[in-house]
Amino acid sequence: MNISRRTALLGGASLLASPMIARAQTNKVEVVGIYSLSGTFANVGDLLNKGTVMAFDHYKTAAGKQINYTLLDDQGDAGRAVRRVQEAMGQGVRHVVGCTNSAIALAVAKEVHARGGIYIHMAGADEATGSQCNKSSFRWPGASYTAIRATLEPFMQANPAAKRWYTITGQYVFGESLLTNAKAVMQEKGLTNLGNSYHALSEREYSGYITAAMATNPDVLAVLNFGNQTVDVVRQAVSFGLKRNVKIVVPWCTGLDQYQAWGSDIVEGVYFGTNYWHGVESPGNRVLSEVVRAKTNNATNYLQACGWAVAQMFVESANKAGSLDVPDLTRAMEGLTYEGPTGTETVRAADHQVIKNYYLMRGKARSAMRDADDFAEILQATKAFMSPEQAGCKMA
Amino acid sequence: MNTFSAYRPFPDATTGALAIVLVALPFVLPSVTLASELVVFAVGALSCTFLLGLVGLLSFGQGLFFGIGAYGAALILLHSNSGSLVAVLAAAAMAAIAAAIVGFLSVRRRGIYFVMLTLAFAQMGYFAMLALKNVTGGENGLTGVPRPPIVADLGVLAHPQAVYAFLAAICFLAFVLTQRVASSPLGSVLRAIRENDIRADALGYDVRLFKIAALAFGGFLAGLAGAMHTIFLGLAPPNTIEPEMSERLVIMAIIGGTGSPMGALIGAGFYVLLADFLSTLWPRWLMIIAFLMIAIVLFLPNGLWGSAELLIGRWKSHRARAVSPEPVDG
Repeated sequence: MNISRRTALLGGASLLASPMIARAQTNKVEVVGIYSLSGTFANVGDLLNKGTVMAFDHYKTAAGKQINYTLLDDQGDAGRAVRRVQEAMGQGVRHVVGCTNSAIALAVAKEVHARGGIYIHMAGADEATGSQCNKSSFRWPGASYTAIRATLEPFMQANPAAKRWYTITGQYVFGESLLTNAKAVMQEKGLTNLGNSYHALSEREYSGYITAAMATNPDVLAVLNFGNQTVDVVRQAVSFGLKRNVKIVVPWCTGLDQYQAWGSDIVEGVYFGTNYWHGVESPGNRVLSEVVRAKTNNATNYLQACGWAVAQMFVESANKAGSLDVPDLTRAMEGLTYEGPTGTETVRAADHQVIKNYYLMRGKARSAMRDADDFAEILQATKAFMSPEQAGCKMA
Repeated sequence: MNTFSAYRPFPDATTGALAIVLVALPFVLPSVTLASELVVFAVGALSCTFLLGLVGLLSFGQGLFFGIGAYGAALILLHSNSGSLVAVLAAAAMAAIAAAIVGFLSVRRRGIYFVMLTLAFAQMGYFAMLALKNVTGGENGLTGVPRPPIVADLGVLAHPQAVYAFLAAICFLAFVLTQRVASSPLGSVLRAIRENDIRADALGYDVRLFKIAALAFGGFLAGLAGAMHTIFLGLAPPNTIEPEMSERLVIMAIIGGTGSPMGALIGAGFYVLLADFLSTLWPRWLMIIAFLMIAIVLFLPNGLWGSAELLIGRWKSHRARAVSPEPVDG
């Protein structure tokens, strides 16, 4: 690490300047992004933030006012995130975007709501637009219900002979939520759930779970977890030779970055569910892909798309409202339809969930790849969302 | 003023210094919420400073009691109409009871075995929080915790300044209480146990009982800090009960120095402010904290406060020598 005197002075200056976030000129709008730029989730937060920065650089203005974006580093800590948001809103900021995990998003959502702001995020927890929904918060991606319905149902339709299922699940709220939804779908379709293995959040070695799955001789192995654990389970399952006789389904996958981590030998023939794919042909995705390609010379990944999407939603709603006042923005956001990263997207007024496509994909053989990023083909795009009543959203 | 190392009368100069620092903090820091975070962690670190400095017990379980305080206060505030003060005190009492139970099970072991037991309890508490997700909210924590007036309708906590004043008052009382305990006969016995527990036992003191009492008091302080954290943020996030919280509190205590309660305030201030500053410079700022920790343990074994005291002491004796002339023989 090399911290020059200039860097240190800049850091100090930014610290001293932080109370002045909102002392803006009237021709500017202050927007803060809350991401983990340090701590455990720094690698995720960095990419999400880059997506948001690229979007605001691209749009430049919202409702005719220049966007002034400030990043707040929550250090992967929900408490620190809330403190940072309290500080920013105490200085007059009313527009907040982003999050790195659900715990942070739910905490920030309450804070922003209590202080009369608007918050657009990408939390994975069903509660965000369910039991903990509120008037100020909007969520872009589909959550666990969407992932399971949009992945397993079309998969089951295309593979009617695959009747015996085994699941490996992360023992945390998100994994449990995926499992509950998966069991419901299996029950509805009359399929057999042979068993489930739970693994802990700290687990890195899964051979025991994989051999347990193999012992039951399943037709399908569903991997119900997220992040690096998904990468490790699938990698180890393939290295155990599971792919020869068993179909592997991963309903929650981040797409390109995970495919790159696996490589095409592992990805080939495996089924994935993902919120975003850079190859989708749509006007919104074309703009996003061009901007990301120009800035990074790479294809867009899910995290960049998420960061972009929340910023785009803010700009689109402000332009529709012609105002930056929170009540006007909220009204404009409810029912807003725009060309987003996955095609035409709509913000559902009843629970503030964006209704968008979720993709079932299948990994391609190396020989079928048209370019270095063409790891998988889209088999189906589905808008599968729980109704607000099912989700238990009572808008506060 | 090294309260824990040797007996000192109560109150002493540090009591006044603490009051001045607490009043000045919101004016000298960039924001009042940063000052609030600092005083919360000062009380949390104080629990480690008290145990390590006065009794010689290194506990990696203080994060568990911090978490019990945080979740306890959140549950009380969410499900009852009690005021903030009642919630804070009740949550701290819950943490003290939990610490007494942990102490009862772990004080029979000494040294590394005691440390490992406290760490195991901290791990267990974290997984219990995940398992009891209907009560604790699991990985999402408990959000939307109200911040009622301090007592009945008195002391509305609507503004960050009011919240800080409330938290700073609790912090001051916690420090004063700790100083009072350290300067009491109980403190003398705990100091004797730290120096030689076999000899203390031979003198007729029930060492086990005194250690359990000390752990309960340490748990009370950690629980108090957890409850203050909930009042401050209006939520109880899962990281309040993660084992990493225990590490953080121990690190703050060691950085500040465990010879005096003031070390906790200095250590917490150093950690919180440095984290705030360093995170703007480098995503892997925790490495710098680790480096500083190593440097302090190697070169400043008394911590920042202890080393400052040492320097002041040397300067005073140097000045005294310079002022009073050497006696002339014959």
